[in-house]
Amino acid sequence: MRTIATIALVLAPLSVAADAALTVYTYDSFTSDWGPGPKVEQAFEARCGCDIELVGLADGVTLLNRLKIEGAATKADVVLGLDTNLTAEARKTGLFAPHGIDVGGLTLPVDWSDETFVPYDYGYFAFVYNTENLENPPASLRALVDDADGPDILIQDPRTSTPGLGLLLWMKKVFGDDAADAWRRLSPRIVTVTQGWSEAYGMFLKNEAPMVLSYTTSPAYHVIAEEDDRFVAADFEEGHYLQIEVAGVLASSRDPDLAREFLSFMLSEAFQSVIPTTNWMYPAAMAREALPDAFDDLVDPSPELLFDDVTVAASRRDWIDEWLEALSR
Amino acid sequence: MVLVLAPVAALAVRAGGMPDFGILGDAYLLRVLRFSLLQAGLSTLLSVIPAVIVARALARRQRLPGRPLLLGIMGVPLVVPSVAAVLGVVAVFGADGWLPLGRDLYGLQGILIAHVFFNLPLATRLLLPPLEQVPATQWRLARQFGLSPWQAFRHVEWPALRGALPGTALMVFMLCLTSFAVVLTLGGGPRSTTLEVAIYQSLRFDFDPGRAVVLALVQFGLCALLAAIAARFTLHRPSEIDTGGAASIVDSAVLRLVDSAAIVFALGVVGVILAAIVIDGVSGPVADVLSTTLLWHSLALSTGIALGATALATVTGWLVSASAARLAAAGRGRRADALEIAGAVVYVVPPLVIGTGYFLLFHGLVDLDRITVPVVIAVNALMGMPFVIRTLSPVMRQRETEYGRLCRSLGMTGRDRLRRVDLPLLRRPLGLAAALVAALSFGDLGVVALFAGDGQTTLPLLLYQYLSAYRVDDAAVVALVLLCGCLALFAGIERAIGGGRNAAG
Repeated sequence: MRTIATIALVLAPLSVAADAALTVYTYDSFTSDWGPGPKVEQAFEARCGCDIELVGLADGVTLLNRLKIEGAATKADVVLGLDTNLTAEARKTGLFAPHGIDVGGLTLPVDWSDETFVPYDYGYFAFVYNTENLENPPASLRALVDDADGPDILIQDPRTSTPGLGLLLWMKKVFGDDAADAWRRLSPRIVTVTQGWSEAYGMFLKNEAPMVLSYTTSPAYHVIAEEDDRFVAADFEEGHYLQIEVAGVLASSRDPDLAREFLSFMLSEAFQSVIPTTNWMYPAAMAREALPDAFDDLVDPSPELLFDDVTVAASRRDWIDEWLEALSR
Repeated sequence: MVLVLAPVAALAVRAGGMPDFGILGDAYLLRVLRFSLLQAGLSTLLSVIPAVIVARALARRQRLPGRPLLLGIMGVPLVVPSVAAVLGVVAVFGADGWLPLGRDLYGLQGILIAHVFFNLPLATRLLLPPLEQVPATQWRLARQFGLSPWQAFRHVEWPALRGALPGTALMVFMLCLTSFAVVLTLGGGPRSTTLEVAIYQSLRFDFDPGRAVVLALVQFGLCALLAAIAARFTLHRPSEIDTGGAASIVDSAVLRLVDSAAIVFALGVVGVILAAIVIDGVSGPVADVLSTTLLWHSLALSTGIALGATALATVTGWLVSASAARLAAAGRGRRADALEIAGAVVYVVPPLVIGTGYFLLFHGLVDLDRITVPVVIAVNALMGMPFVIRTLSPVMRQRETEYGRLCRSLGMTGRDRLRRVDLPLLRRPLGLAAALVAALSFGDLGVVALFAGDGQTTLPLLLYQYLSAYRVDDAAVVALVLLCGCLALFAGIERAIGGGRNAAG
């Protein structure tokens, strides 16, 4: 009995939460102590005089699946953390309301005409390397694929990971119908394909391979947080694939006005200025000049490559099968 | 069973009626199935055969210096989250490691190394109790007859092992079959895809509950089949329960050498990877991480979940084993086997399937983020129950056969019997089972990651969060805390329930 009482005591504080006026579903690296969550929550609560509850789930895909299960009964007012690979499917659920806010202040590298989702940050996939271990990185995705003596790489699985899917789309953009062939040529230099970004990056930091699939902004973390400038993203001629992270308002929200106020707040300086050094991405509505210095030294990712969300939703499964076939030989 | 099948059924309903088994003809799935069986089968062989030798060595060498610590360390791999184990394996065998294997690490070899790291110690712990229970009289006889060590193995130790070996092999097989991050990361690419990965895939980007249900049922059926085969091979030995007789073993200089080699080997496999994790942790920002309240919150939550799941799994596992034992004593061995199998193979229904199923069942009725902790405890208890059944069942069956009638003729029932007969005999296996469940749920990530709402960060989840925020060094410290916490929890529970080394049983 005493054990049960002890357990109850340990767990009790966790089951109590304040009455929230606004519930935001997001991913847990957003809500973690070192993520944007705590600062964003504080700033918005001070502004609106309300309570906001951030619910952190594993990642964007989990967010969408959670919504599919809960349907209109969801307690979420806002969902923050889907990306452009998921928006078409998210829109198809019919659970989202038009955002209805002014997005004139966006500084995205592409035009934004989506009436459901509002972007809050973006990034580009890139192969990151340690300058001490690799002197001549490939200058293009084609060079990486075609040079049989090129560097070994660590990548993520498109079936389980967002960057993994990003590389799949990037290859498709550059090689089109020859993507399967390109994957086969690249295959001998893929050290391994990990479940998520964390495993691959962790292994890269242990020098398992000279290059890892990550983001162009990754080096900024090492410069700002660790004062370490050895890490650089390889600048590829064809351009880099773009990932845009978005938020949307649920049609079932009990307080749609407050939810929209949150989306507007999301594009304000108070929110946007937190993003670069917590989420390590480019803020979606902030002038380049206002970014931290370390962001000035990052590679120029243009031209940005991006499939529209409908194409991704329609072709993803076929393309993954093609990838599986190519790498399973 | 209901607790597991209800969520699976909920998923099936969601998918819209009868699942489509036609997808099983798919070439992709056949390849996946073949690879799943291959890697799990090889992993099991490579873990269990050495474990027999190591367990024998440990059973013989009761007075080995540092033996309790060694046994404690053998409980630790179970708690290591797979990502930490993968990084540990890479630290040892990777390009920059102590024993670099280079690119050869990736593929079946890497998977096998990691699986042996996880399962050799587990199998050893599961095989040790039956060996320790070989009655002293048998050893005395063996010496009087002048049996050689090999003959002693065949006639004394092997019969004791036969009761536990199939079940242990099955446990290990199930653990390897459902292994996920290890297989993906060390497998080198999509060639190394297992059924578990396919299930995960179908519940993520694809969100196709129907497909997930079919695949989960295939995995479940496969294990039930193997469990039934294992049950056939299990020999339930009718013999007296006695205190272990390892003091009077048949011994020789060669045997001493073999035993030392076996123990050193086991310590090498487990120790070198653990050492890599510990060294990474100690050289990280220990003070910084230890001074965050988040770490202590996570530690408290993980401990709470582990204790809750342990209590629940122990009680339900006890009840299942006791019913099976009564059935067996009543001459209905088949039904007893079936009950034990049902209790054990629930392990292979992936947490993601159970979790998603529970979501389907409960959403709309309650606020899911408020019941996260109870659900996580329940799912962990389900995952841990097979360990309880595995360790308790053989002893319980034996006890029921020997004392059941005696107890009934003495009119000893209920609490009285529990205190005087059951507990003294079952304390040690119960202690081991509880400690295993605690370790398992302490290190579990699968279920928590799916549910965790605000402020419900467990230690393994914290580790992942650090990793996904570039903070590899902080993550290494969390891994160290996980290891130490597990060691303490394991030893504490085993001692509290199982009693000291000389307790009865």
